[in-house]
Amino acid sequence: MIFDIFLLQQVINGLSIGFVYALMAIGFTLIFGVLNVVNFAHGEVYTIGAFIGLMVITALAPPLVAVVPLVLAAGALSGVGLERLAFRPFRRFTDEASQKSRAMREATLLSSLAVSIIAREIMMHLFGGDMQGVPSDYLLQRPVAIGPIMVATGSLVIFATSAVMLGALQFLLYRTQTGLGIRAVSNNQLGARYVGIDTDRTIVTTFAVGSMLGATAGILVGLYDGAISPHMGFAPGVKAFVAMVMGGLSSIPGAVACALLLGVSESIATEFLSSGWKDLITYSLLVITLVFFPQGIFGHGRERA
Amino acid sequence: MDVNVPDARILPSSTALPASATAWRGRQIFWTVVLLAVVFGAVPAAITATGSSYLAQIAITAMIFVILSASLNHITGTAGLLSIGHAAFYGIGAYAAALLSTKLGLPFIVTLPAAGLIAAFVGFLVAMPTMRLVSIYFAVATLGIGEMIYVILLNWVDLTRGPMGIRGIPPIELFGWQANTLLSRYMAVAVIAVVCVWVLHRLTHSYYGNALRALREDDQCADSMGIDVVRLKVEAFVVSTFFAGVAGALLSHTSAYIAPDNFRFMESILILAMVVVGGMGSLPGAVVGALFMIVLPEALRDIGDYRMIAVGATMFLSILLLPKGMLAEGASLAFVRRAFARGWTTMSGGTPVGWK
Repeated sequence: MIFDIFLLQQVINGLSIGFVYALMAIGFTLIFGVLNVVNFAHGEVYTIGAFIGLMVITALAPPLVAVVPLVLAAGALSGVGLERLAFRPFRRFTDEASQKSRAMREATLLSSLAVSIIAREIMMHLFGGDMQGVPSDYLLQRPVAIGPIMVATGSLVIFATSAVMLGALQFLLYRTQTGLGIRAVSNNQLGARYVGIDTDRTIVTTFAVGSMLGATAGILVGLYDGAISPHMGFAPGVKAFVAMVMGGLSSIPGAVACALLLGVSESIATEFLSSGWKDLITYSLLVITLVFFPQGIFGHGRERA
Repeated sequence: MDVNVPDARILPSSTALPASATAWRGRQIFWTVVLLAVVFGAVPAAITATGSSYLAQIAITAMIFVILSASLNHITGTAGLLSIGHAAFYGIGAYAAALLSTKLGLPFIVTLPAAGLIAAFVGFLVAMPTMRLVSIYFAVATLGIGEMIYVILLNWVDLTRGPMGIRGIPPIELFGWQANTLLSRYMAVAVIAVVCVWVLHRLTHSYYGNALRALREDDQCADSMGIDVVRLKVEAFVVSTFFAGVAGALLSHTSAYIAPDNFRFMESILILAMVVVGGMGSLPGAVVGALFMIVLPEALRDIGDYRMIAVGATMFLSILLLPKGMLAEGASLAFVRRAFARGWTTMSGGTPVGWK
């Protein structure tokens, strides 16, 4: 019985980590959908979200509810800036051949990587390479008892925020004109252009939306863990990337499901393995998935590229 | 790409060497001599003259990364399989050499090929299940496997001593001759690097290399032309990981100390950046890219903390302004092919077709 409660608690912790991965993985999926390119700078957006949140907290000390919109705005801004800097210059050629060309895609991938190095180094310069503490008033580590289980407030805040954001995303994608545009561009960029969709604007919007989700994940984790550093974005970035690929690259529900799976299995694994080995779980899951489902679990036959 | 189509131009048939061929042969010899003079003459002279261990260290690192970049170019540039876990095989080679020499006391002449073979064997195991993955799925699989290998190196403390790394790896020694001084260490690494690049050059600039390029351009089409796609992909991956392992062994024996952090994801990305900045698929480009990416941060030491920003900015600008890389594949292939084709005429006095 004790063990069961303990396990349940680990599952809840795992789910809250999983939702953080999910928020980031959705950003990856959206951006991969419209551009067919992996955005390596997504982890930096997460870090920027955390640092902007921390700056707002230390400068203005607003209530927590007010921090999130500010972080959302910062995330959207950094997403738009990222697109302008690292992606738009490589969309000079809009014909089908260059859109499918491997060289063009690899150049874009590398440019996002170069921009992420620049962003990380600038943040190192501004904030220093060490962990920064979060003011204790804002820490989300107070335990709350729900029945026999103790849950940290951070988990609850992460659940609530993710639920709201996932709901808003569903609304945006399936009930608005903008969402229709995003889905059309992911489906076929050239076709979307032919029917009169402003693809450039849609891509910018997608970056803004994806980066808002990533930045929110950043500040939530910052408040949950109580420490923020310029390198914090790397590990969750890779995990979210893995979740996206396991989910099948273009499927948002798939990415969310796989992100939750990764979070829970990591959290349960820490019970059986020393924490150093827990990353092995993530990557083994990835490799096993790819061996048995070469297109990801929820992916459908994509065009060969 | 038209460079892959056999050149059908017909030269006047004569047993004597055409004048242009002599000129080409001359230029080819000239460039080879210039390159060898820089690698084995100018750089060692500079190291001796300044006596600076710093300079020697950079030269050694640059040579190791030339091997890594050239080997990654073989799989990613020529065969078109984007691999973002190359540093892991570099790490396997380094650990294999370090453990074989410190625990079993094997000499360098054994550990160098053994490191390459062990890395190649792991590469073979990795390649078997992942070769049917396409495009980005393959890249992510290599990323995952690379991180797995890193986690294993970091946590298998009994074997690898974990984050403490392995110390006291003996320097390069060959039949009693020991590379104790920095200069001799550099010379040993440079000789091996030149041999590795030469082998990769013979592999890529051949009909075999053309087959690899064919499966990069369109693997289904290549399959229908009778190319054994899966076998070639596995072979290319194994060759590439073999040379990564050799580079790892050189790192072990020259730095005497290795730790798992030398073989992280960012290292793989650095190697990929070398290939891209130099020019995907171009072997001279990979070499130049490696030299550029190693020398640039050192040249920028004066600006101190800003130098990594400058490296990122240079990478970004070079991708933006030189999308094909510093030495584009088409141009470098044409260069190599011309040299080969002229060589062909001297033998048969006939038509210069393809590679020799």
